[in-house]
Amino acid sequence: VSEPLSVARVVRVFTLTGILSIGGGRAAFFYDALVTRRGWMRVEEFLQDFTVAQLLPGATFANLSITLGHRLAGVAGAFGGLVAVIVPGGVILIVLAAIYLARGLTPDVATLMRGMSAAVVGLVAITTVRMARPALVSARSIAIAVVTFVAVGPLHVNTPLAIAVMTVVGLWLNRPGRDGASGDRA
Amino acid sequence: MSDLLVMTWTFLWLSLICVGGGLGVIPEMQRQVVTKHGWVTAREFVDGYTLAQLTPGPTMLVVTFVGYRAHGLLGALLATIATFLPTSLVVVLVAAHWQRVRTHPWAVAAERALLPIGIGLSTAGAYTLARSALHDVVTMAIALAAGVALYHGRVSAILVVVLGGVAGWLLLR
Repeated sequence: VSEPLSVARVVRVFTLTGILSIGGGRAAFFYDALVTRRGWMRVEEFLQDFTVAQLLPGATFANLSITLGHRLAGVAGAFGGLVAVIVPGGVILIVLAAIYLARGLTPDVATLMRGMSAAVVGLVAITTVRMARPALVSARSIAIAVVTFVAVGPLHVNTPLAIAVMTVVGLWLNRPGRDGASGDRA
Repeated sequence: MSDLLVMTWTFLWLSLICVGGGLGVIPEMQRQVVTKHGWVTAREFVDGYTLAQLTPGPTMLVVTFVGYRAHGLLGALLATIATFLPTSLVVVLVAAHWQRVRTHPWAVAAERALLPIGIGLSTAGAYTLARSALHDVVTMAIALAAGVALYHGRVSAILVVVLGGVAGWLLLR
């Protein structure tokens, strides 16, 4: 934890972990690899990096590889970590896209894809529920989530506008000094 | 050429409005790449998202699929860079200073404000995918069964998705 690791080592471990992390809850693979198995950081450090990854714009998993890489090996570790989790998947996806687009879908493949897409909907729904449970702790956080969903989902309000408005509302509702620093009340 | 630039720019600004993760930007991305610019069809978009789900790394790599469909290898490369490079610069910058600012009252307020927005957006993302992927009793049943299996059991997500595919293959013919 105290002395930085070599960038090459971070890239090697992140590449391996990245390749193994398929499906939902991908952050758990990094938790297992870095905290549980190697003891490279403490639980609180991992959770802090995860929070930053979630708060900042971008895919959470990509952001997490950056924050973790940064903690372990500085700026070079951050970008090395990102490249390590992006490149293998990117190459595989190009190959899959080429196959998918070149042949056109035979009826068999089309029904297979439709079944898999339907299962993916179940997967993302559950992932969202898991993410929502610890975060929606107060009436105002639930209200913000619901209004954002209704606006961007069924009502098709454009996302930048919805984010801008809801961020202002959310900051105002949670402004420093409101209910002191004691945290949310349900 | 100009369409390639428009696409690169589109993915760049889309990446910057990814609040709470990649799923949250799916409604706006679908609007841009399917409805507005026609780089992929709605079916291709949801299939691309499914393939990205089956691939290692972030599911946001769906942009690589869309870029490849629209402009081949160069499109795939530019879409990927536009999506991941600018946000990574922001993250590195913030990660370097987070330890200092995270206890600031406004940082706490920002965290409390942004997390629920991210959840609302992710729910909208799931809703958008459901609208494209679920159109009959069979696909709805597969989605429901997948959700229940993942919620209760310690089953691998990838296995559930593949089994969903097999169910679709058997029941949708």
